[in-house]
Amino acid sequence: MNTKTSQIVVLQTDKRRVLLASFLAFILAAAVLSVFILPAEFNRDPLGVGEALGIAGLSQPAGVSLETVNKEEGAFHQDSVSFQLLPFEFVEYKYSLSKGSSMLYRWTATKSRSGESSAVSFDFHGESHEVEGYEESYSEGEGDHEGGTFIAPFEGIHGWFWANHGAEAVTLTLSTTGFYTESLEFRDGFEKKQILK
Amino acid sequence: MLIPVFAAAHNLSGANARFVEGLDGPAVIPYMYLGAKHMVTGYDHLLYLVGVVFFLLRLKDVILYVSLFTLGHSITLMGGVLLGWNVNAYLIDAIIGLSVAYKAFENINGFKQIFGFALNARAAVLIFGLFHGLGLATKLQGLSLSADSLVTNMLSFNVGVEVGQALALACIVVILGQWRQRNSFKKQAFAANTVLMSLGFMLAGYQFSAYLWA
Repeated sequence: MNTKTSQIVVLQTDKRRVLLASFLAFILAAAVLSVFILPAEFNRDPLGVGEALGIAGLSQPAGVSLETVNKEEGAFHQDSVSFQLLPFEFVEYKYSLSKGSSMLYRWTATKSRSGESSAVSFDFHGESHEVEGYEESYSEGEGDHEGGTFIAPFEGIHGWFWANHGAEAVTLTLSTTGFYTESLEFRDGFEKKQILK
Repeated sequence: MLIPVFAAAHNLSGANARFVEGLDGPAVIPYMYLGAKHMVTGYDHLLYLVGVVFFLLRLKDVILYVSLFTLGHSITLMGGVLLGWNVNAYLIDAIIGLSVAYKAFENINGFKQIFGFALNARAAVLIFGLFHGLGLATKLQGLSLSADSLVTNMLSFNVGVEVGQALALACIVVILGQWRQRNSFKKQAFAANTVLMSLGFMLAGYQFSAYLWA
């Protein structure tokens, strides 16, 4: 190997300059990392500067924010129930939910004989456990279906009252999923309570 | 292995990845394109190349060093994919960052000045080429390659990498050539390599943090 041609050109420097340059390069890198990159990319803020600059958590996935995720410790349930209502019959079906707990729901009403959709009157409401006799209606009217997300505004039992004002038998089907703890059915003056584990 | 956007320094982007994963059988042009794109847009490889050719005045030397680099990364790119090596992409990318800092330190004659000893520059470029190739392999492995056309697609990717490297190098060499003509080059060269070293440290720190926390 010919050393003359294999020698690459490097800068003629001295030890002091090299040490200083390496030190500066390292400090600059450490500063940029701890001030900008770590807070913005990894939500690590060793100096607290990222917070002050407003870039801390810049790359946090949206799902971690408190507005979109509401964590719950309770048991998770998924249920589907159905009732047959003869003309002028009514039923009430409710779930116990603590304040802030949520439930997804969807119900449909169909004519028992033909399966065609059929309107019933309904009242989606809640009764408080905290304030004696307090009731609140969330959604009421006439319709053959409704679905949505429900977040309990207070601790209590929350659910539906349905009444069949038509001339034909109607089948109601309710599907729910959520963090409720018990179900209650009120019909013909009887109350049927079921603790969900 | 679609890593989130913040780690995108060096991953094949989501849409591209889905496209090639949807392909069945050999796909020479798409993989070549991906290889070239990975190289042209991969600033860690580009910074390393800048460091390597910074003081190479003659085209002959440029070709020699770049050939060694190519040899190194082709060996581990193909070896890694064929043997199914499972190396951590973040750690490899951190080493690639350190390779940038190493080269810049070498360029300011740091090893001779401080340690009184310097590793042969050509050996170093070959060795770091091996690491860069491992990085390339992890990216290609990130796409679930179908086994029947693995070799064809891998070779296409490798060829693409070299095409991208040639394109990027042409720009780098021309710009460095213009810069060297100026009287201020000598002064700025030292500062430029200091900055390059710092960028290498940043890249290494960034990728190592991603290894720890991403």
